[in-house]
Amino acid sequence: MEVPNNLQIDKQFLASPIKKAVDKFQLLPEFLKVRGLVKQHLDSYNYFVNTEIKKIIRANSLIQSSIDPETYIRYTNVKIGDPSIEIDHSVDNLTPHRCRLSDTTYAAPILVDITYTKGMKEKREIKQKINVIIGRMPVMLRSCRCVLTGKDEAELARLGECPLDPGGYFIVKGTEKVILIQEQLSKNRIIIETDKKGHLVASVTSSTEATKSKTVILMDKEKIFLQLNAFPKPVPIMVVMKAMGIESDQEVVQMVGRDPRYAALLLPSIQECATENIFNQQQALEYLDNKVKKFAFSNVNQEGRALSILRDVFLANVPVREQNFRPKCIYAAVMLRRMMDAILNKDAIDDKDYVGNKRLELSGQLISLLFEDLFKTMNGEVKKQMDLALTKNLARSFDNSNYLTRDSITQGLERALSTGNWDLKRFKMHRKGMTQVLARLSFIASVGHMTKVSPQFEKSRKVSGPRALQPSQWGMLCPCDTPEGEACGLVKNLALMTHVTTDEEEGPLISLCHSLGVEGLELLSAEELHTPNSFLVIFNGLILGKHRQPQRFATNMRKLRRAGKIGEFVSVYVNDKQCCVYIASDGGRVCRPLVIADKGISRIKEHHMQEMRDGVRTFNDFLREGLIEYLDVNEQNNALIALYEGEPKEDITHIEIEPFTILGVCAGLIPFPHHNQSPRNTYQCAMGKQAMGNIAYNQLSRMDSLLYLLVYPQRPLLTTRTIELVGYDKLGAGQNATVAVMSYSGYDIEDAIVMNKSSLDRGFGRCIVLKKSVAILQKYGNNTQDRIRRPDRKGVDHHKMKVLDEDGIAAPGEIIRPYDIYVHKEVPMNTKDNSQNIQFKPSHQTYKGAKGETAVIDRVALSSDVNNNLCIKFQIRHTRRPEVGDKFSSRHGQKGVCGTIVQQEDFPFSERGICPDLIMNPHGFPSRMTIGKMIELLGGKAGVSCGRFHYGSAFGEPSGHADTVEAISKTLVDKGFSYNGKDFLYSGITGSPLQAYIFMGPIYYQKLKHMVLDKMHARGRGPRVMLTRQPTEGRSRDGGLRLGEMERDCLIAYGASMLIYERLMISSDPFEVQVCRVCGLLGYYNHKLKTGICSSCKNGENISKMKLPYACKLLFQELQSMNIVPRLKLTEA
Amino acid sequence: MEGISYQRFPKIKIREMKDEYLKFELRETDVSMANALRRIMIAEVPTIAIELVEIEVNSTVLNDEFLAHRLGLIPLTSDKAMGMRFSRDCDACDGDGQCEYCSVEFHLSVRCDQDQTLDVTSADLLTADPNVIPVDVANAARSTSFDSSENKGIIIVKLRRGQELRLRAIARKGIGKDHAKWSPTATVTFMYEPDIHINEDMMATLTLEEKQSWVESSPTKVFDIDPNTQQVIVVDPEAYTYDDEVIKKAEAMGKPGLVEITGREDSFIFTVESTGAVKASQIVLNAIEVLKQKLDAVRLSEDTEEADDQFGELGAHMRGG
Repeated sequence: MEVPNNLQIDKQFLASPIKKAVDKFQLLPEFLKVRGLVKQHLDSYNYFVNTEIKKIIRANSLIQSSIDPETYIRYTNVKIGDPSIEIDHSVDNLTPHRCRLSDTTYAAPILVDITYTKGMKEKREIKQKINVIIGRMPVMLRSCRCVLTGKDEAELARLGECPLDPGGYFIVKGTEKVILIQEQLSKNRIIIETDKKGHLVASVTSSTEATKSKTVILMDKEKIFLQLNAFPKPVPIMVVMKAMGIESDQEVVQMVGRDPRYAALLLPSIQECATENIFNQQQALEYLDNKVKKFAFSNVNQEGRALSILRDVFLANVPVREQNFRPKCIYAAVMLRRMMDAILNKDAIDDKDYVGNKRLELSGQLISLLFEDLFKTMNGEVKKQMDLALTKNLARSFDNSNYLTRDSITQGLERALSTGNWDLKRFKMHRKGMTQVLARLSFIASVGHMTKVSPQFEKSRKVSGPRALQPSQWGMLCPCDTPEGEACGLVKNLALMTHVTTDEEEGPLISLCHSLGVEGLELLSAEELHTPNSFLVIFNGLILGKHRQPQRFATNMRKLRRAGKIGEFVSVYVNDKQCCVYIASDGGRVCRPLVIADKGISRIKEHHMQEMRDGVRTFNDFLREGLIEYLDVNEQNNALIALYEGEPKEDITHIEIEPFTILGVCAGLIPFPHHNQSPRNTYQCAMGKQAMGNIAYNQLSRMDSLLYLLVYPQRPLLTTRTIELVGYDKLGAGQNATVAVMSYSGYDIEDAIVMNKSSLDRGFGRCIVLKKSVAILQKYGNNTQDRIRRPDRKGVDHHKMKVLDEDGIAAPGEIIRPYDIYVHKEVPMNTKDNSQNIQFKPSHQTYKGAKGETAVIDRVALSSDVNNNLCIKFQIRHTRRPEVGDKFSSRHGQKGVCGTIVQQEDFPFSERGICPDLIMNPHGFPSRMTIGKMIELLGGKAGVSCGRFHYGSAFGEPSGHADTVEAISKTLVDKGFSYNGKDFLYSGITGSPLQAYIFMGPIYYQKLKHMVLDKMHARGRGPRVMLTRQPTEGRSRDGGLRLGEMERDCLIAYGASMLIYERLMISSDPFEVQVCRVCGLLGYYNHKLKTGICSSCKNGENISKMKLPYACKLLFQELQSMNIVPRLKLTEA
Repeated sequence: MEGISYQRFPKIKIREMKDEYLKFELRETDVSMANALRRIMIAEVPTIAIELVEIEVNSTVLNDEFLAHRLGLIPLTSDKAMGMRFSRDCDACDGDGQCEYCSVEFHLSVRCDQDQTLDVTSADLLTADPNVIPVDVANAARSTSFDSSENKGIIIVKLRRGQELRLRAIARKGIGKDHAKWSPTATVTFMYEPDIHINEDMMATLTLEEKQSWVESSPTKVFDIDPNTQQVIVVDPEAYTYDDEVIKKAEAMGKPGLVEITGREDSFIFTVESTGAVKASQIVLNAIEVLKQKLDAVRLSEDTEEADDQFGELGAHMRGG
């Protein structure tokens, strides 16, 4: 009737069905398809190979003789060839798998084009050469230089490669090496912190191509000082400012800001400067010259050094052009201002652990440093040789290009990669443990290894700050996956969608900023610097100028980024507190993709997703059309990110793609992790890496030194989206076991599990252990060589040679027992001189395994090793079924050993005839609070009964990536089970019903690599150490079990003296000695005279026999040898 | 001890019988008897399974132990197992386990010369003894329908071009206690026969909706409502899984005692599923035979005779007196 028109429309709107949120999950597989799991490594390496290496060569393009500048070599171009190896002057293409098997390095030649001079003086010609090899660069697998890029599954299979293997590692001398991601504090940024003494400090770690330095401005007793390594003591900051040409105190105050509080804080420093009588630049420089660190050897005039230090060392990242120190002054002033802000307001202190202040150093950057160093070293060598040739006038027509050698770069790179030591004197870099052998224990272990981020500090530091979970880690670093113990919280892992940026060209971005209205520093007076409402624009830590409309500027920059005009990883961050706009394009920032939203409404519409499902739209299209963008940690602070679409907020700028992507690869395997107590997930992240399963599709053609495989691995019944995305469903590491949660037999205390013997008979938990042993036929200097003889079928050792073929090498398929010989090898007795008939002595290699176990020779491979010796590799296989003491674990950090194995007929059964595979004690639940495991059981049970894999992705219930307990219960009831997952069971022993309903269903169980067979150890008699005659130590040496100090203490306290006597002497190292009762020294036993004789008294009259531990006798003799005389005083016993 | 006799005469009533499935009632005995029967069926009824594998050529992707394990788990028709000897106490071959009385020899020789993958199945296991063959092969031979695509046998391994598998396998008699491969059963289970008493008076106080929701509270279909009389009736007492859901529901409705369900302690419903090695019915008969042999062993052992003097009447009783 008289309802206003607009109200009616509202009603209609309300009545219309709520538009369903677009399912953005499909983006993830698409994202991972273009990205892979280790894109950060690949991108970084690709950037190095395609861009960085060219820059390095260009920067060092000329080698010029210092004697004759007309003699030179100039590099004009560089490229990396195809992975290949040169054997006996023929070039052979390499495949990664061939390298793994033949212990070679997967590397490609570094090819340079050069122009150079040939000959001297008049005869000099300028020549050109292309594709000169200066070394071999190890190639990262799946990078742009690798043969595997762009290959499909069939082609990969032909190359012997697993399609699920993510790449991102190197193969050096046959071993797979990962360069760990290194976490560092960002370079060239102002950081406000408090130092050890509690002073407030503003510091910048400058890093440019030329120099590296650390500049610290600190406040001590109200005065402000500059601390630089070049100055032994801190120098007043005002003097420095004056030395850089800001002579007026007022200008300094203006630069810092006109707030009277800043001036008040600066006053003591200004006063000090005045009391020192420093008023102009000249005086300041003189003052500083005196403060410069003096070198012991150089008598060089100190004058002028202060200026060069200020130019080159102080804030080295700020360039000084034409002696214009003004940018540096402004930079210092901004540092001062930030510091004073922090004094006035403690909140302004930077958080060092904030992820936005961190940079991740990746393989590309690290190799680039290494290469630069080696390249410069090589150039130095070449120059030296050129000079040498010129001075000696040796070769009138010498060819410069011949001096370019390959070995130094090749070997330098190879050595660094295989030892993990980056020792670069040029860059003051001495780091150890940068590379690790890729963990191949399980598929997930190797993927997890590639996302590992190792910290820069030493692990022993007892600080909680860096170890704590940072809110800014959200979505970037996995909150679960960190080791326990000393590295807890320091070693981190990347989350599923994290990307690490690479460097981007700065020049165009700077000019773009200026054209978007940034007022350059040259144009600004000190006063104008900090006018209200204008923000400083800081680009990669460098002050570009100021902008009067920062928000507009930021929006414009972002629009350009979304339009693809500037790189997608450039971050624009408006910091309102500091009145700064930060623009970053540097490498090593972590970032992640987010869906862009306008006023809370996602830009991705259903039709976009439909196009993607139809395959006409890729993830990159989303990026290009500005539907998705990458945000780094800092820019995230400017965004309001909604978890799901449809949250009623106007100012939402972004929407998460999927919440479970905040977890990493390892934590992604856990079903319902959001229902577990958090440490349980952390434990599982560590244990998932020890689980046996399938390693890769090519696992049987590999030759790893130790390989654990499961005979019948399964795909988990309760999967997560991450499992499908990373391929764990194809390379699983566990089996779905029907678990009954009940107490049984008492052999299940302390998390032990009871296993069904019939299940084990049928293959549950059965595993294959493959061990490699190598025999090398060494070549010697005198033209001799180890040799292999045919087995002697009738000799003394013939029973040990049963496994040998006629060629003296063990035959594949033979059963090998301990002490069997697998190579009938002989070594020459004489390896020194060239005598004619050299005798050989046998040097058998025997199999050392557990007694009573039968292993089989799986494969034998012959290849040549690095030194061109024949190398025979044996893979010895041992199939094991689970036994009491083997370790198992579910995916919820609940590990336990097998407590006992029980016949199936003794196991409880339900009236449907279901009999569990293993029984777990219910005491495992209350204290662990792993509700996720219970839901996994329910979901698994529903899954097997309805024939559909159920999902348990983290936080997946709202978006449908995890089944709810209600839905699962409904399925259970439909299939005739109780909604709560409990079953009515009968005892298998008596046949009568059990008193309680038993919670029973399938849970995915992992068999862990710790098995009793590898650890079991006991000994009665056995080997002893030569020196002390005490039993050896350790299982590998068949050692004794030590009765230690504390055990001894107990025995003493108890008074069991005879037992102590027996344990510590009779069973250890008893020794009979002759003691002289007169002098108290040890004598000896003369076998001819059959008496003991004291060698110091020279007679045998007062000799007593007694027993001592041999170690005691040894101690006496050692003491005597250093002129201490221990004497024994004997009494009657 | 006079007057009361504990002697009982168990009865068996067969409900459903197929080759591989048997459902029967066992009445008028107690749990110990039922469970003994169940345990013997699982663990002590002998069958024949491959125990020794000699591999001549194996260029397949699976290793020797793997194949041997898989071969062992293939069920073989074992009707003659009861009459066979255990190779450990076979006189004909001195425990060698290779004679006709205690073993059956199999040969397998497959080579793939085509581009498609070739499945090596249980059908490739060849033997001279027509009585001992893989069960699926036996089934295929018996069935009249020609859907051989449906039943290709148990896959042992898949071969690609050039791969070959050649082996000799010896099957022997054994029992499930030693290894699960000798167990003739897939499932053996029994349940107490439930005794359901609905308190009709109390039930009459419920409305139809209440009845409906009460009936639906049981996860299995035990009760239903008679469409004519609208009374709750027990449709299938054996579907009841002793889950107490209906009792809990009744309590929640404020009607405790609406239904009373007890298990009858002297009657059991057995379900026996066979792997195919022995017919399900034969498993039960064999189990009873094995049980009898075991009891005989006790009865006739010399220790028991000696015990006669001590236990007098009991000893005689044990010998069937």
